[in-house]
Amino acid sequence: MDQFIQLTVDGLTLGSVYALIALGYTLVYGVLKLLNFAHGDVFMVGTFVGFGVLQVLGGPANPKVPIWLVITLVTLAAMAVCAALGVAIERFAYRPLRDAPRIAPLISALGVSFFLANSMQLLFGATPRNYDLFQYHTGTLYLRGLHIGGVTVPLLRIITIVAAFILMVILWFLVNKTRTGKAMRATSFDREAAAMMGIDIDRVIVFTFILGSALAGAAGVMFSLRVPTNVSIGFIAGLKGFIAAVIGGIGSIPGAMAGGLILGFLESYIQGYVHGAHIPDGTQWSDLYVFSVLIALMLFRHQGLFGRPDIRKV
Amino acid sequence: MSDSTPHGFHSTGADGPAIGQDEWVARHADVRFLPARFAVVERRLRVVSWWAWLTLFVGLFCLFPIVETSGYVRQVAFQTVLYMLLALGLNVVVGWGGLLDLGYVAFYGIGAYAYALLDSPHYGIHLPTIVSVPVIVLIGALAGLVLGLPSWRLTGDYLAIVTLFFLQLFQTVTTNWQNVTGGPFGILNIDAFGLPGGHKLKTEHGGVFAVSYLYVALAIFVVVFVALRLLNNSRTGRAWRSLREDPLAAEAMGMPVNWLKLLAFSCGAAVAALTGTLNAALFGNVFPLNFYFITLITIYTMVILGGSGNQAGVVLGALIISPLLELLRDADKSRVLFFVALFGGLAILGRRNRRIAMVAGATLVFGFVLHAIARAIDGGWVAGQPGAGGFATFVDHWVIAPQQPARWIAPVAYIGVIVAALLCSVLRGIVRDIALVPTIYLGAFVWENVMLSKPDPARYIVLGLILIVLMVLRPNGLLGERRVEIV
Amino acid sequence: MKKAFVLALAVLVTSVVAASAQGSQTASARSLASFNCSKTITLPFVTPLTGGAGFLGAEQISWAKYAVKTLAPSLGLKVKLVGGDTPVEQGPAPAQTLAQKYIGTPSVLALLGPSTSGAVAASTKAYYAAKLAHISPSATRTTLTKKVGNTFDGSQAFFRDVPGDYIQGPSDANFMINSLHVKKVVVMDFQEPYSLGLAGAVDSTLKAKGVTTIRLSAPNTTTDYSAYVTKVPGDADIVFFPTQKPGDAQTFAQQLIEQGKKAKVFGGDGSNDASQFKQPGSYVSNFAPDITGIAADAKIIAGWKNDNPGKAVGSFGPPSYGAVQIALTAISKACKAGGGSTTRLAVFHTFKKVSIKNWILGGSFKWSTKSNDPLNAKFYIFQIQSNGSYKLVG
Repeated sequence: MDQFIQLTVDGLTLGSVYALIALGYTLVYGVLKLLNFAHGDVFMVGTFVGFGVLQVLGGPANPKVPIWLVITLVTLAAMAVCAALGVAIERFAYRPLRDAPRIAPLISALGVSFFLANSMQLLFGATPRNYDLFQYHTGTLYLRGLHIGGVTVPLLRIITIVAAFILMVILWFLVNKTRTGKAMRATSFDREAAAMMGIDIDRVIVFTFILGSALAGAAGVMFSLRVPTNVSIGFIAGLKGFIAAVIGGIGSIPGAMAGGLILGFLESYIQGYVHGAHIPDGTQWSDLYVFSVLIALMLFRHQGLFGRPDIRKV
Repeated sequence: MSDSTPHGFHSTGADGPAIGQDEWVARHADVRFLPARFAVVERRLRVVSWWAWLTLFVGLFCLFPIVETSGYVRQVAFQTVLYMLLALGLNVVVGWGGLLDLGYVAFYGIGAYAYALLDSPHYGIHLPTIVSVPVIVLIGALAGLVLGLPSWRLTGDYLAIVTLFFLQLFQTVTTNWQNVTGGPFGILNIDAFGLPGGHKLKTEHGGVFAVSYLYVALAIFVVVFVALRLLNNSRTGRAWRSLREDPLAAEAMGMPVNWLKLLAFSCGAAVAALTGTLNAALFGNVFPLNFYFITLITIYTMVILGGSGNQAGVVLGALIISPLLELLRDADKSRVLFFVALFGGLAILGRRNRRIAMVAGATLVFGFVLHAIARAIDGGWVAGQPGAGGFATFVDHWVIAPQQPARWIAPVAYIGVIVAALLCSVLRGIVRDIALVPTIYLGAFVWENVMLSKPDPARYIVLGLILIVLMVLRPNGLLGERRVEIV
Repeated sequence: MKKAFVLALAVLVTSVVAASAQGSQTASARSLASFNCSKTITLPFVTPLTGGAGFLGAEQISWAKYAVKTLAPSLGLKVKLVGGDTPVEQGPAPAQTLAQKYIGTPSVLALLGPSTSGAVAASTKAYYAAKLAHISPSATRTTLTKKVGNTFDGSQAFFRDVPGDYIQGPSDANFMINSLHVKKVVVMDFQEPYSLGLAGAVDSTLKAKGVTTIRLSAPNTTTDYSAYVTKVPGDADIVFFPTQKPGDAQTFAQQLIEQGKKAKVFGGDGSNDASQFKQPGSYVSNFAPDITGIAADAKIIAGWKNDNPGKAVGSFGPPSYGAVQIALTAISKACKAGGGSTTRLAVFHTFKKVSIKNWILGGSFKWSTKSNDPLNAKFYIFQIQSNGSYKLVG
């Protein structure tokens, strides 16, 4: 039982970070039908911005302001910088290609990804960066928290999960309850028709990139609160986000959330539970199981979990 | 049934619209490479048939090892041929079939691993090459069929992700199934290709790449190129194109859409597997990471950059990207490349546009003046980066290079030049021209002082920039056919 | 006319093929080409400079640069250090291309690296065929210098100045048994060659001495080890986790504490980095005692720190300094013997004759007579103290 609770908490932490990344993918895909492969590198920039701000605020051992404020400021800074970065990427790498064949922006996205990852290395070096919040009061954030059964759910994990949840609620509100959100939904439904109805498509797209990239920045901070980051982390983060977005049904916001959580739980439970004398071990072969399950899932629901069925017009 | 396919698709457009072809579409599909005044030359060149071009290309490629004796350059040429093959194979799936296959390199890996298991001391099996290679091509084709099956139900990005999962499975299995694949240690000492007389084709002479493999690879390239070309001009090829343009209409016309998809996957996979055997036989070893995302990304870049759907285009893509990756490795060479590209580009643009020429001239003067002022203030400002030779002398008298740059200079200059360049692309008119002068100079400064001190990340930064700029300038790829998308 | 054109081309092609097939037979014997020692020697260092292990290569290069700067003038050599990038994400393939590049560069007389064992295995045969000696400061796979069973992945052209896993594995395991009196050990690997080799060596030694071991294995893209930590039994004493990413050892140690497990992390030489792996109570082994405590090294460390402000002394750097020292000493010796000029073959033969008095890793350096490994090398084990410093315990 304890192991189950532990693994559930693990899966929830992992999954909420994946979901935040996946949301960025899905939002952009929704309005532009573009797989933004540079998204993972925006996430990476977020982790580094967070690290920089953390150092400015005095580092994890002797923060100049209370720790909750430190984490909030770090997150907001990363979100702001990433949002600006997202807008720049859209303006200079994607907008000129808006009417190009669908596969062309894919390559320009790859170009942006190479550019960002290696620029960060050029400027800041390849040394991994660790927020090292364990240093705060010799591990308070790791050792204090909720007690469920024999398991402690540490504060840091609670922060991650709650923050992700809050961000998703805000996103839901923005998309469903504001005028711009309405415009976004209209654009993602049919861009031409939306334009004819007088919606400023450029503004909607910029807004989408702001939202998506800010979420990536937040995800970057949530991720590196607990594990070290480096300049090439963007690739694997982007991959997980992409997978989560697609299994949830790309373009669908609840789908991205669900996809992220599913991926997180799947990884966690498989690594924790699958073992035995006659089957490949779940820790060593976790990717084998995870991807086999996902392939099966995709074959079963071939528009992803929440994907809109493809209406094919003749 | 596919006899009823309209013939319009492969008309060259040189003699005006053919029967059954939309004139407007034809006009828009007509891509020009040369300026209008060379139209006659271009038309003449287009009359030369594809196989003459192929012969010329292969002939020149064969000539290459005579000019260049370095084993390194020859090996890079060999790798380029491998990439050309891989690009041709991927072109079948992506360019002709219109299916986004992100598991493509897994077939490359399957070919290489199959060869490694069938011809190495790993299991002590040493099949003759004449047996093992066809068997492996068949295995590759079958694996392609299997991976193609999900395409019956999945479309677009959902298909892409399942093929991506397949690549991940391939990685996991080769990394972890140590008894069979050797795990991350790989399989070493794989046999070279055997000749009919029982000899082995030499892979090296005194550690230097043996050129015979280059010819084997070229021969295979010609066979694959011609075979795919013929296939594409057959009923199957026309059916593929209609599948790519509109799967639903193709299905309604009674085409066996599902089988066509399988066939595309299978052809691509067979080519990749064949290339895999070449790779394993030359290098003598296989490792899981040889067949992973970096390779996949490289091949996709080649195909899309060259012009997805056009055989000559994807070959051109491989010819550009593969040597470029190696050229950028060397700080000295990439330095020359940078300044030649910078001033060459300005010169070409300047011929058409006088204002650009003025900008180029102003930048040159700006640089010399700034350099002189900096030297007058403090000799240390220009003492860095000692170069040699005529070209380097110019750079040393033009770009400021501080001996011991302060730590803040690199990030500030780097971010500054990016912001400045982006601003320049938004500005218009005389303001832009004035802004361009210091921006270009700052770019050269950053290149000399920041990028060249860390050539390895700089190499990928340059690659990334080239990809972005090329896609923005030519979204259809260099030789791609411009598609008219009817909404 | 068109046909004639094509026919002419075809003839051209055949003749070209014939001509170059002839040409390739006479591949020049670069190993015997004479090199004038007063010219600038190119010293390549094949190591990951970008990608996830880029920090490792950066550290090695920074030390090699410092070594070239300080040692070359005193040996009377002009040396230009160049980096050859082999990102770990691309596997050992780039090392093979780079081998061709450096074999084809006449000013290369010896080579540093490749840094990873897989890259050595992939490229050392070409170096041997070209009689180009290469010395790695970090490739520790046993079979690169010694034959185990039928497996030998190295060549005689490969040298290393650090001892291999055949020393580190047993010495780590013996320390656990004799000093820590372990009963149950979790052995974790990272699905990459370095980690698998070392984990295997420790696992087999522990098992042979009757210690219960539990083997775990994580894909090398793993960043969060929580699920693995749940599999560590409450009564396990040690988690042996060899990784080349010291930050991951730190994460594992913190997650053990987070879940209330008493086991301590024991890292290999790859995680020996006091700035990243600093969880008190953890163990780490290394091929050198703390070099900051060696009096003869004080000047070198001060000089390196001056060139690399703000950087900490890790475990990959000092052996790189040593490798440069060995390579340049061999070249200078061969130059002297050849009266101002030398060949790759001569340098290759001189390599094994090099010995160094004040070795950067302490004591003096000599080659083992049996293999291209250092003589009498041993491993040192440290425990991390509450202030984060490493204390020698075995």
